[in-house]
This record gives sequence, C-alpha cells and structure tokens, in this order.
Amino acid sequence: MNLKSKLQRMKGHMNLEKENKDSVHVKQIQAEMKSQKEQIDVKQNKGIDLDESMSKTEHELDNDLIVKWKKLEFFPYHFEGQVAYQRRKLYAFSSTGLMNVRESLEEISQRWECSNITHPLSNKDVPLSRMLFFDTETTGLSTGAGNTIFLIGYARVLDNGIEVVQHLLGDPASEAAFMHGFLMDFREDDYLVSYNGKAFDWPQVKSRHAFVRNLVPRLPAFGHIDLLHAARRLWKHELPSCRLSIVEQEKLGIKRVNDTPGSMAPLLYYDYLHDKDPKHLEGIIEHNDQDVRSLIDLYIAISNRLFHKSNDEMTANEHIQIGRWFEQTGSLDLAKLHYEKGTMFDRNGSSEAFFRLGVLLKKLGNVMEAKDSFLSCMKMSAIPHVQSLIELAKIEEHHDKDVNRAYFYAKEAHAALKRGTRLTGPNQRTIADIEKRMIRLKQKI
Amino acid sequence: MFGKRSLTELIGELRKDEHVAHWHEIKEEPAKYAPFPTLMDKKIKEALEKRGIKELYTHQASSFESVMAGKNIVAVTPTASGKTLCYNLPVVQRILNNKDSRALYLFPTKALSQDQKADMNEFIDALDVKINSYTYDGDTPANIRQIVRKAGHVVITNPDMLHSAILPHHTKWISLFENLETIVIDELHTYRGVFGSHVGNVIRRLKRICHYYGSDPTFICTSATIANPKELSEELTGEPMELINNNGAPKGKKHFVLYNPPIVNKQLNIRKKAMRVVNEIAATFLKEKIQTIVFSRSRVSVEIILSHLQELVKNELQRKSIRGYRGGYLPKQRREIESSLRNGETIGVVSTNALELGVDIGQLQVCVMNGYPGSVASSWQQAGRAGRRKDESVVIMVANSSPIDQYIFQHPEFFFEGSPETARINKDNLIILVDHLKCAAYELPFERGGDFDDVNVEEILEYLAEERVLHEQRNKWFWMNDAFPAHNISLRSAAQENVVIIDQSQVESHRVIGEMDTFSAMTLLHDEAIYIHEGIQFQVEYLDWEEKKAFVREVDVEYYTDANLAVNLKVLEIDKEKHIGDGLLEYGDMMVTAMATIFKKIKLETFENIGAGPIHLPEQELHTNGIALSFHRDQLDGIDQNEIEQLLLGVAHVVQHVACVRVMCDKSDLHAVPEVKAIHSEKPTVFLYDRYPGGIGLSESVYKQMGVIIQEARDYIQSCPCEGGCPSCIGIGAFSERNMKQAVKRLLGSCI
Repeated sequence: MNLKSKLQRMKGHMNLEKENKDSVHVKQIQAEMKSQKEQIDVKQNKGIDLDESMSKTEHELDNDLIVKWKKLEFFPYHFEGQVAYQRRKLYAFSSTGLMNVRESLEEISQRWECSNITHPLSNKDVPLSRMLFFDTETTGLSTGAGNTIFLIGYARVLDNGIEVVQHLLGDPASEAAFMHGFLMDFREDDYLVSYNGKAFDWPQVKSRHAFVRNLVPRLPAFGHIDLLHAARRLWKHELPSCRLSIVEQEKLGIKRVNDTPGSMAPLLYYDYLHDKDPKHLEGIIEHNDQDVRSLIDLYIAISNRLFHKSNDEMTANEHIQIGRWFEQTGSLDLAKLHYEKGTMFDRNGSSEAFFRLGVLLKKLGNVMEAKDSFLSCMKMSAIPHVQSLIELAKIEEHHDKDVNRAYFYAKEAHAALKRGTRLTGPNQRTIADIEKRMIRLKQKI
Repeated sequence: MFGKRSLTELIGELRKDEHVAHWHEIKEEPAKYAPFPTLMDKKIKEALEKRGIKELYTHQASSFESVMAGKNIVAVTPTASGKTLCYNLPVVQRILNNKDSRALYLFPTKALSQDQKADMNEFIDALDVKINSYTYDGDTPANIRQIVRKAGHVVITNPDMLHSAILPHHTKWISLFENLETIVIDELHTYRGVFGSHVGNVIRRLKRICHYYGSDPTFICTSATIANPKELSEELTGEPMELINNNGAPKGKKHFVLYNPPIVNKQLNIRKKAMRVVNEIAATFLKEKIQTIVFSRSRVSVEIILSHLQELVKNELQRKSIRGYRGGYLPKQRREIESSLRNGETIGVVSTNALELGVDIGQLQVCVMNGYPGSVASSWQQAGRAGRRKDESVVIMVANSSPIDQYIFQHPEFFFEGSPETARINKDNLIILVDHLKCAAYELPFERGGDFDDVNVEEILEYLAEERVLHEQRNKWFWMNDAFPAHNISLRSAAQENVVIIDQSQVESHRVIGEMDTFSAMTLLHDEAIYIHEGIQFQVEYLDWEEKKAFVREVDVEYYTDANLAVNLKVLEIDKEKHIGDGLLEYGDMMVTAMATIFKKIKLETFENIGAGPIHLPEQELHTNGIALSFHRDQLDGIDQNEIEQLLLGVAHVVQHVACVRVMCDKSDLHAVPEVKAIHSEKPTVFLYDRYPGGIGLSESVYKQMGVIIQEARDYIQSCPCEGGCPSCIGIGAFSERNMKQAVKRLLGSCI
C-alpha cells in the first residue's frame, strides 16, 4: 500500500506537535512582521528567478548563503568542511559615550579587591577583558538532546569599547564548526556572566558539546556569575517577574523599540532554515546583542547597590535583601551597614530592617543594641511584630533576667499570633513554642 | 460453622461440591540443582553461601553460562523460581571483571523496580564490593539523579522513564551508554499488544544511542510461560536470543479447580452469576482468616466484589482487612496495600490483572478467579499468586456464561495440556513507529541510507520533513521543532490524554483520586455514571470533556451503571482478500466511529435494570486495520430479512470470542460489529477490527487463521448444551420462531 497516503489518512491520530497557544500567538506577530518585511523585500528582490536557485548545486547554494550572511556582517568560519558564521561588532566608547561603563566595572573590581570577601557576584582577580557577558538562543525550551543552540553571543569590555561576538549555527549539520569557532575564541580563565545560565544556557552548551566532543577541544570549566539569582534576591517581591526584559525596563530604565521577543527564536530559526534567508534572524540577532550588553548594565547596577554607589534611589527592601545576602555569605559588617540604611526609611519598610538588624546585633554579641533595635521595630511596625516580641522575651528572660517583662512579651506575641487568621503549620509550631515558654516563665514568677 | 477449619478441610469440602467441573492436581516437584559455575567469582559464591544458597537451580546456572559466553538469553521462569539470580549473577560477575561495566534493568512498573533495588542491595551488601545500584524514576530526588547518571553500575528503571527521561537526555548519561554491557528486561510477557509495540520501539532507540556511544550490550529477558518467549524476545529486542527453559525450582502441591455455577434457566442456558459464586467461595476462606486473592477482569467488577465481600465477612473481619487493587489507584495507596498484604494485616485482596506481575505481596493460600482471565498465560500467572513457596494451595476458577469460559470448561485439556498463547507485538504500526521516529530524531539526527534498527524509514522521515517537524540538510534529518516529543507520547494507552478524576465531596478540599484513559472514560465517567473507587461509590456530577476532568461526589446508591457504545464502520482500502467457503474475507484499512449512546442503571443485589439515561459526548474516530467477512445471498437463502440482523449478531459473537482465544488478546482489543448491509459491499457482513489506531496485528493474524477459527466456532456451538441458542454461544436467546442456533451453525458451515 502507498505509505504516503496511509500517513495522510492516519494524520488525525498522530500528534504532529500541535501548536500551543503561545506559538499561535507568536505566529500572529510573525505574520504581521513578515508582511511589513515582504513589502520591503519585494522592492529589493525584484528580478530574482526562483527556478534559477532550484537548479543550483549545494556548493553554489552554500556560497549564496555566505554572501547573504556577509550583508549582515557575519563572516564564515570554516572547519572540517563545515561552515559557521561569526560577527564581531564594536560599540566604541568614543562614539557612544559609554566610557563610564569601563570605569564603573574597574571600580567594582577594586571594591571587591579591597573588601577581601568571597561573594557570588565578586569579580576579584578577573581581568576586565576576561568577563564574558553571555547568552544563547535555542531552537526550543526543553533541555533535552533535541534542543539545539543556534546563536551564542557574548559581550566583552575592551579598552576602546564594548565588543559583541556572535556565533551562528548556519545549519544543524555544521555544529562542529559552530562549537569550534566559539571554543577558539575562549580562554581557560574567562569568566561567564549570564542570566539563568547556570540552569539553562550552560548545561545546554555542555549537551551540544557532547555531540561534537570528538572533533573539538574539551570544554573548559569557566567561572560563572548568574545574575538571575541576584535579581531574584533583590526584586522577587517587587517585580511581577524577574524576566530580563522586565528588569531592564523597571531597574535599568532601558526601553527596547521593535524588539523581537526571545520566545520567537525557535520559529524564526525554522523559517530561516526553510527559506535559507538570514533576514528572518535579523531581529533575534539584534535581541541577543542587546541582551548581552544589558547584562553589563545589570551587573553594574546590582554591584553598585551592594556598595551603596547606586545612582538610583534604593528601596528599603533592596537594602534588607542585600543585607541578608551579605549575612549569609558571612560578611556581617557589610550586612549591618545595609540594615542600618534600611532603618532610615519610613514605617513598614524600616521595621523589618530594624528586626534584621536586631538579629544581627544579637549574633554579634551586642545584646543591648539588639534590644533597642527590636523595640524600634515594634514602634515602626503597624501590627505587633511577633518575631521581635519573641526575641525581646528571650532577651528579658536570659539576659536582663526580668521574668515579668519576658512573660509580658511572650503573652503579647501569643495574642498577636492567635489574632492572625492563618494558622499554618509553622505558625502552629511557633504558638506551641510560645506556650511552652509562657508556662516556664509563669513558674519562675 | 463452628470452630476454625483448616485449608485442608475446606479443600475436602470443595471436592464434594457437585458444580466442580474439573479437578486438576499438580504434584509437588523437587528442586533440580547445578553446581556453581567455574567462571563464577569466589566473592559471589561466598555471598550466596552467606544467604544459605549452596547450589544454583539448573536454569540459574544455564543463564549465567550463556550470558558470560556473550549470548542474549530469555529465561522462562514461573512465579517464585528465583529468577532474579538469572540476571543478578552475570551482571555482578561482569562488574567484578570490569569495574566500569554498567547494566540497565527494565521493569514494567515502578513498584517492581523498588522491590528489585532492595533485593539487589541486599545481595551487594553480602558481596562486600563497591557496586552502586539505584532506581531512577519519577520519585528519584534531583540531587540523587546526578549521582545515578555518573556512577550507577546498575540503573533500575521502567520503559516509561527510559522513553521520556533517559533517552532524550542521553548527553547527561554518557558514562552509562559508553559502558553499557547488559540490559535486563524482566516480565517480558507483559510487553505485548500496544504497550509491547511501543517498548519495542523504545528499545530500537536505546540500541541506536548505545551504538552512537560505541557499546553493544547483551540482553537478558525473563518471562512467564507463554508459547513464544523466544519469538517475542527476538521481536522486542531485534536480536537473536537463546531460550533457557530448564526450570529447576521446586513446586508445592496445588489444586486447580474449575467451578461451573449451576444453571438457573435451563431453556436459555443461563447460569448463576459467577460474581456471586466468587463472593461465596472467597467468603468461606476469608471467614477462616485464610489469605485469599480474588482476580476479576474489570475495574468495576473489582469494586463490586470488594464491597460484597466486605459486607459478607463484616462480622469476622474488619473492613480494612479486605482491600481492592487496580489501575487508577494512586501509587502511594498501592504501596500501602502491598505492604499490608506482606505483613498479613490484609487477609483478602480483590484485584485486576495489576497484581499478576511480580509485585511482592508475599504468599497467599487461595486464589479465586472471577471468570477465565482471558489467556492461559495470564491464568497461570494469577494462579502463581497462591502458594508461591512449597505449601499446599488451591486455585478456583469460576466460569462466566461467556462462550470463552464455557469453551474452556468444556475442554479442560486445552487449558492444562494445550500450549499457552502466543504474545504478539507490531513494532511497525505506523502511528507507533512515527511517534518513536520523532523521539529518535530528537535524540540524534537520522542519516539518509541509515535504518532505524531493522526497518527502513526514509519515506516517513521525508513525510515528517514535509510537515516541518524535521529539517533535512546535507543528507541528514534534524529535529526542528520546539516541542519535546516524548512528553506527548504515552507507552501505556491508546489515547494520548487521560481524564483526571476529582472528588469534590468536600467543598473546601477537592482532591484527585485517580485517572482513566479517554476511551474508557466515555463509558465509565459520563455524566451520572456511578464510579466505584476502593469500594466507595461516587457519582459523576460533570465530565468536562474539553479539559479532561471528571468531577465526582461520594454517594450511597443501590445500583451501578453500564453504558452502551454505538459503532459505525467504513472500509477505506482492501489489502488482501480470499474466499472461504461461499463467503468472502477481506483485510484492510478501516475507519471506525464510536459514540457512547445511553447508560443503564443496574441494581446491585439483583442485577435488574432499574433505569437509563442518555450520554452526550462527541463521537470518537479510529483509523485501524480490520477484517470483513461478507456473505453471499445464497448463503442466506430462506432467511427472513428482519432475522438477518440477529443471525449476524450471533455469528459476530461467537467468532469474536474464538478469535480472541486464538490471538491472545482481550475482548476489548478486538471488536466485532455486524452490519446487515455494509457500505463497501452492500452485503451482510461481520467486521472484526483492532481497537488501536493503525492496528497491532490482531486482525491480520485473524485473517490468516480464519479457516480454523470458523471451524472451531461451529464445533463450539454444536457442543453447547442449550436448545435454540444461549448467551454462552450465540449471545442471544431463542426469541424468534426460527432456531437461531441452527441458522448460525449453518451459516458458519457454509464458510468452511
């Protein structure tokens, strides 16, 4: 029986990767953009005979493609009979007034050097030109073997400007050339700065490397700063999501015009493969270029907040979150400074800062100041601050030996918790703990 | 009933029962031993001796020697014959020979892998060698996963995980695939039909990945008794296999009793409901606290028997001492039931064939089957649940009125002496093949000129490229789609989506209590259906077909529901045809449309019909393979036009049943539909078709064997004791004036 007709007949039973709602939406946008583009293309492409391109040999077609890519300033990289494409673009400081980027990064590096602490964001001992602000574009969102990286881009800050290098997978059969070109441009001591690169981009690079590992050099183990982790810490509570585009807009003041959303990357790449026309990818290449440059700004913006050098006004929450981060990495002095800054805000913001400060002071052995801080927390808080009350009860009981006061605070904390409507597991455990404390105190009175 | 009666006494009583149709005694058998193979490492010998094993059973020794000689083997091992040593010994030996050697164990279910891991680790501990064995399934924590990938000598998993989590991420498993020496496939006989056809393709993918990383593993399969273990294992793995069937394990004495319920309506040959008899028999054992397992075929019947039994023995036992067990229960619940069976807290369990597999539930003394389980192999598997070690045990099969059951009971020699059935798979079912080609292309690009294991697939790859799922470049096909294909493909069910069952009895906390495939849901979860879950009745309040959710609420009613499915057939293309007698037999592609029409409410106590209602669900379409047996006008000479329908119904009924026995499938896998005037030929026709899209080779097999099937069907009707036709033979009573039984027999005779 004719297999083709059977395949057609069975089509209803097969799941030919039905389009989900998102990709339908993307297709719509794409259609709109296409129609705009076609109007332009029609003007440019007049007179090209379609039949002519059909009869060309594969070699000639390759050459055609190389010519097309050159128009976008992408140049061929030949390896093992395969071709990949690369673009190097310099955003010179002289022409763009970006000079302060370099200065800012150097300053940050010096600060880490001086503070002499270990922190996930530290670029101590990393020469500036070795920092790679890194992002990839892929043919899908899954993390399996069938998801291909087709674009690797990174920005470096050089003496004369920002250099953006992009490697493009010209076709899926040229992965070795693509990977080789990218590895040749790397050094063992390069340091990656990415956005969600630890969970997504880098494992994906490793997976793709595994496919061509017999043809290309080993993949070095790079140092890696993932800015998504930092952004989540600072802004999880105030931003609707920590997607790079939202962080850019809200925190860096960058507004992109006519940006191609990254979610369209897979479909655009299929169109490129199908039509052999690099124009489909222009938008996503630009998007990636902008992404890696934004990472520089983001790194500076977050680091400056850490060192109280931010040009933007900081929020109480940012101080508290940075303080907690420093506390967790063992830099208690730096943490204290941020909590103290946090206490200078009005009302609710500051009460949490006072509480955190109190806990830290207690940890540092400064019980009296800690007590003051908890009392300030109580004063600034709109509703009774349960944790502060408990801390106060502990201090009165164990340090000041004032059992009556201790009992008073414990009772207050108990009442406040009971008034609360959410009796979740942890809350119930806290209540049980307080009740134990109250019984013990009662016996001492 | 005074005092406590022993199993032996109860067996003695049963022997006197006049309704016992056949009593078969299986003698005890002593063990057959072989010395430890010379190649076997001293450490292994010591570890075995520590566990009190001084010799191997013959089949264990043969397995070891063949595997160490580099052969693929399939070992036929009945329940409780020490099959784990058939693969653990050679695997451990290989690791001792080469510490980088890896093995992959595949078990059909997650529960079995957990059992295995415990068993393996016990053995490794006794061995005192650094061997890492891990299970890898949905429950494996993320931080352990990395260790399993990098350092697991033995990775224990199931085909579903291999399909959706391991193969698509093979770049993370390089050290496994580079060093894979042994692949163990346990419970081989479960890989048949749709599931087996899927798994056969998963193994094609597995071999492809192994080849890519330069390994060439040996296969070790173990199987229950089926007619064609060698053929099935070769089909499943695509490799030549050596059969090991010199089982040396001892067996305890076993009584196998065929029990035919009394006839209550002589004219119609209607027998007492098997379900009731099962209830009574099981209750006599349970009342004496003798651990008993009851097998029943459908999920609904399991629940009905469960509630009856709980009621019958409520004075002697607590409600919780009798449990149900079937697909649709959540895994946690099943694990709990399994362990309470092992520790004896649970005395009785009512199960579907879900407990046929080697899930460890300890040893039970009595097994009662509600009807013939559908295949000889399956019957022996279920019977093996009673008396797994050396004790006396009894197995009682209670016959239904169905033709298959009565046929078996008329011919016990078919059961006790005849060869068991053959298990079939069809790896090249177009739908299944295309599904796995997509997964395979996702894993590694295809090269032009390269095959998919043993099958040429270029035409399909070209088709997928046209559909823009793949992209062809430089004579290679690449996956070019943002989907993750393995997630959309389930190895277990025909339908791609399952209906989730949500209990909303408590307004503030809705909870998911189970799930069901969409095709079954049409007849079991329609609005107003009574759905029974662990003996508790729920009524379906609303079936959200679009979202695939069924909202149910707990109720307490006196009835259960039974739905009708209306089926329509269209022949698309005839592939083969031949004349048999005066009839014409055709085989080819068909389109079936099915629609749930009405449901009946049936009273629990009396099984009488107490009401009905309509079902409003969209029609489902199925493209598949089937056969059409059409009759010439002369063959129906002298038969009234309005009697033809009844006549065809009778033929369809008996032919379907005999065909199912022949090709080892469930009645629900091979459907039969009679049509008075078929659209394609305008002749009276009986259709049989595969219930799975694209077919799994059942009707093709029926086409080949149709001559024998018709002959057997006619002989069977002949020997049925009824007068003018009964539910057991032609499926209908002698309502018309004509003797329908004679007419069906004559029509079948004209096709010989």
